[in-house]
Amino acid sequence: MPTREELAGLLATAAAAPLRHLADAVLETSPPPVLLDGPTVGTAPLHVREPVERIRFGLIDVLVTRAEIELDGHRGWAMRMGDDRASTLAAAVCDAEVQRNGPLAADVLALCELVAAEHAADRARRWAELEPTIVHFEELDA
Amino acid sequence: MGYVAARGGTEAIAAAEELVRRHRLHAAAPWLELEQLTERLRYLTDRVMGEGGLWAPELAARAIRQAEGDVIEAAHLLRAHRSTLPRLCRLRAVDADGLDPLRRIVPAFREVPGPQLLGRTLDYTGRLLDLADEDRARDDAAGAAGARVEPTEFETTLAGEATDRAAEERSARFPQRLLDVLRDHDLVVERRRPDDPEPVDISSFAVRPGIGRSGVLSVMARAETGALVNLWYRNILGPDNHLHEVTLGEVRHGELPVLVTHPHTGGDVRLGVVRATEVEAIEDLNGAEEDRTRFDVGYGLVAGHNERKAIAMANLDIAVHRHGADGALEQSVLMTTDGLDASGFLEHLKLPHYVTFRSMIERKQAMRTDRARQQRTGRHNRGANENGAQR
Repeated sequence: MPTREELAGLLATAAAAPLRHLADAVLETSPPPVLLDGPTVGTAPLHVREPVERIRFGLIDVLVTRAEIELDGHRGWAMRMGDDRASTLAAAVCDAEVQRNGPLAADVLALCELVAAEHAADRARRWAELEPTIVHFEELDA
Repeated sequence: MGYVAARGGTEAIAAAEELVRRHRLHAAAPWLELEQLTERLRYLTDRVMGEGGLWAPELAARAIRQAEGDVIEAAHLLRAHRSTLPRLCRLRAVDADGLDPLRRIVPAFREVPGPQLLGRTLDYTGRLLDLADEDRARDDAAGAAGARVEPTEFETTLAGEATDRAAEERSARFPQRLLDVLRDHDLVVERRRPDDPEPVDISSFAVRPGIGRSGVLSVMARAETGALVNLWYRNILGPDNHLHEVTLGEVRHGELPVLVTHPHTGGDVRLGVVRATEVEAIEDLNGAEEDRTRFDVGYGLVAGHNERKAIAMANLDIAVHRHGADGALEQSVLMTTDGLDASGFLEHLKLPHYVTFRSMIERKQAMRTDRARQQRTGRHNRGANENGAQR
């Protein structure tokens, strides 16, 4: 079972189509949700701590979408990168479904498991691509 | 000539705009999909996001398409759009050490902690214009795209094996940076601050000299690439007036995590990643007032993959530090490297200047009339004096 933060992170990176499909299914089996916030598209500044003086500075703003709903007395919160109101709202619905331990909570967790596995496979595939580009030096005889 | 107020041109402006729209929509080529720009012209979208100050690949691609490939116009569109959006929150500050490298080279040292990872680069191979047959290239690309969508069993197995290797190699993928190696050997001037000053927000406050290093770094991160490279090139003379060739420590391109605080738990949520390019520039201190037994280091970090810009930024960071915070170089960095500022001022020259130019003509004509009168008066006076002398 992922933590609340891990769940939000996996819902933030899930593909749009299965996420929306699942949220639609949740809404068919639940009381009508109450929209508490958004979905709102906006920016969030990204600060980086640099290594010379160890100070923070603003690198860039990131486009994000945020939403929060209440479903059957349980709050679902979501934020995703980019401008995508429908998917962010769907993520908030899925979060609330897990919080209330609704009938489709297991499906939401299964989707998150799949997303986590895809991330791991992507990382592994990428490293498999990069690894051959590591330089192995050969000492030459004087 | 008097001044006469005039109006007009609205219909011509509308027709000109329509001409742009029509040719953009009905060009003799298929519609340009956003994915083609983000996936096939990655340097271009990265540059527009970096100079526009907003990480939003799809919007950057839209801006490039709308601007018909005009990079500065696209960055302008993106930054203008950003200014219409609310700031929803502040992301968690991330440490530059958390950059997961897709490429990492250390030009200064061969044997460094962690690998020299070339990544996706043509730096060490000859580059010639590819004149391959278009149809064949298109078929090759289609074949490659198909293979990417459906990985073979071999690729899946390879990925699985690589997972184990990746775990073993994790420490190699987050290697100690060269700056820290130099610190371990007491070879670098200590500039780490004990305090944690609030970063300057250059989107909310006017940029002026004396803004502080965080502001200077932010300005360079958002600067126009060509302006920054040019400014570096003009300023490679050091305080001793000899050519300073700075040695590069780390050159990395990789992914920084985007973290936000969960409103209900206070813990970190990982929303995804932003790619960035990072450079350390090692300066051999040799000024009379400097600690010649040690090096100093400049730092560059820009959004996306843009090594030229990051190298120029790192070099200018240390140059600004050596020239002094209130020097002319800092002023140049702050006041002349923003692409939108510079091109906006330049492009305003295309707007009608009828009144100002007419007044300039009239001034010149008045001066000429005045000069002619003075010459006539001078001739008259000289003639009168000569006549008087003869009498």
